[in-house]
Amino acid sequence: MKKFAAGFFAGSIVLVIGALVYLKLGLLDVRSDAPVPDTTARLLYSGIHASVRRTAPKARNPLPRNDETLIAGGRLYLNDCVGCHGEPGKPPSDFGATFYPPAPQFPRAGTKYSEAEVFWVAKHGVRRTGMAAQGSTYSDLQLWSLATFIGHLPNLPPLVLEGIQQHPAK
Amino acid sequence: MKNFVLGFTVAILILPIGCLAYFAIGFSQTRADTKPSALETSTLQSAVRASVRRAAASVPNPPPANDDDLVAGGKLYVAGCQGCHGKLGGLYREDHELFPPTPQLPHTGTQYSEPELYWIVKHGIRMTGMSAYGPFYSEKELWSLAAFLRRINNLSPGMIENIRPNKSG
Repeated sequence: MKKFAAGFFAGSIVLVIGALVYLKLGLLDVRSDAPVPDTTARLLYSGIHASVRRTAPKARNPLPRNDETLIAGGRLYLNDCVGCHGEPGKPPSDFGATFYPPAPQFPRAGTKYSEAEVFWVAKHGVRRTGMAAQGSTYSDLQLWSLATFIGHLPNLPPLVLEGIQQHPAK
Repeated sequence: MKNFVLGFTVAILILPIGCLAYFAIGFSQTRADTKPSALETSTLQSAVRASVRRAAASVPNPPPANDDDLVAGGKLYVAGCQGCHGKLGGLYREDHELFPPTPQLPHTGTQYSEPELYWIVKHGIRMTGMSAYGPFYSEKELWSLAAFLRRINNLSPGMIENIRPNKSG
């Protein structure tokens, strides 16, 4: 048993040192403009969602789910998110594709996150991605309207789509 | 001896699986509005530096840059980079929004060489907010930006004036 423990200890040390040497030698590929391998992508996205599910408070959206809220959120989205996440009714964002991992294209794909989770991600960001924390830029209510909007993508009521386009963001 | 080998093998298998499980179950923190630890910062920064040095070794030497090239690179910086990397001639403002935080280049300067800067702007740094700009800039633009970035914390006031003609330095 003692020998097993010694072996386990030696294995751990070798693993950690091996990892550090690998990093120090520069063998880790750091370029963004390469596709994310499928298994890596699956692990990344599910790991991030699991963490958000675990940490985001189960808050209730304080705003009514009506066209007004969606239009307010849509304006914020057009103002600040389309650059990376894509615009409704337009082709996916070329810029969002140059991140590693790439920015999700909500107008096409929607999101699996609940509104409370979208709110939390928009407020606090996602580390080791291009997603910056927006909590110091927008109020909680603004972020809730944004979360409501993103939660309704890709199926926006036609009136909302018109409303956003008629009232372009300042 | 047999037990030693067994323990060794178990460690080699269990630890990576444990790390993946820890991440997959959602124990890792994802919020970006906190600071990375000093250990994480130094480990990853040196890994990125080593990787860029290795990858950029095959990049040819930069064409010699004159003042016009620096101004052109500076204008690209003002238009495309300063939103995250800090305003040219502005006050230092720590980044609390991205994780890892964006280096505030006008204040910190950079340790990277021109070919390395060219490579970073062109290809980006994965798992950071630094995306790849290869699809958006010409070779000439990438090199002028690299030349500018190399000197960003060492510019003459006149140079800054030329880059931002309508604003006081």
